[in-house]
Amino acid sequence: MSLNTAVLAEFNPLGPITSAPLFTFSLGHWQLVVSNHAFAVAAATILLLIGIPLVTRSKKQVPGGLQNLIESICVFLREQVARPVMGGHTDRYVGFVWTVFFFILTLNLLGMVPTEKIVELLTGKENHFGGPATANIWITGALAVVAFFMTHISGIREQGLWRYLASIAPPAPWWMMPLMYFLEMISAFVRPFTLAVRLFANMVAGHMIVATFLGLIFVFKSYGVAVASVFSVAALSLLDLLVAFIQAYIFAFLSALYIGSSIAPEH
Amino acid sequence: MDGLVTSGLLALTAPGDTGWAVFGAAITCGVIIIGASYGLSTIGGKAVEAIARQPEAGGRIFLTTVIAAAMIEGFTFFALLICFMTVFWMRGT
Repeated sequence: MSLNTAVLAEFNPLGPITSAPLFTFSLGHWQLVVSNHAFAVAAATILLLIGIPLVTRSKKQVPGGLQNLIESICVFLREQVARPVMGGHTDRYVGFVWTVFFFILTLNLLGMVPTEKIVELLTGKENHFGGPATANIWITGALAVVAFFMTHISGIREQGLWRYLASIAPPAPWWMMPLMYFLEMISAFVRPFTLAVRLFANMVAGHMIVATFLGLIFVFKSYGVAVASVFSVAALSLLDLLVAFIQAYIFAFLSALYIGSSIAPEH
Repeated sequence: MDGLVTSGLLALTAPGDTGWAVFGAAITCGVIIIGASYGLSTIGGKAVEAIARQPEAGGRIFLTTVIAAAMIEGFTFFALLICFMTVFWMRGT
């Protein structure tokens, strides 16, 4: 126990990951507290809303550079991820898949940038400006709620309310139907929950390991540990980068899968 | 596993019953990792065998491997989070 308290007294590994209030907008009784994660979400929104149309505006037959990158990712997501599961309805729902992928990818990558250390270098003040926005269960939960509503609303839209409710449970003898509906109801709520927790836990784990390794320098206070720690942090940050891309892809792929399975009537 | 057992056993010296909860959480973390690593190693091994049988399908096999690994990691992290939260709840009381 004494080693634990000694470590925590020097450095809290969860410190850089948590959300802290930055500024507060007051309007009479109502207050809007902007935290660093909310700021990152706003920054990602503006970056994507302005950046992607700006980059992909040229209508050349052979696009180059960043436009080619974004268009290749979009084509991959549409042909390899959405079309196999959605079939003819791909064009209607692929926008959602694209949005989810680019939004989560931008949030993850913005979390890899050590903005609070850069701001501290420039201004000299201790602050909590930037943390990984997807390391916040409320943000990933909100994304999962959006995916939940997208799956069920798209299913109801394609099949009508009663046919959709009837198609939720796979065909089974009539006396097993209550059990099947019960299980399907549970899975309808567990799926978005696992979407949220998977993204949240992967991001928290990656950043917490990096923060712990860096904190070891403060605990041991020796140069040898510092060198080994910085090399390990570099390697672990590369792994965290890979996980950022993979988790964005997994979220988009699973959202496409759930939407595809809800708009296709089970035969 | 050693470190987990040691910190779990150290937790037993805490006053009241919180030490037993932390002990359980620490041991559970190790057991969860055993299950997850068994699943992931099975996936990795089968993927390598599949690519060896048909190297042209390497791309699709790799994609499937990554998806299955992310699925397993998903609920592994969920279970680890519960153990982690147990430790933090017990630290509060």
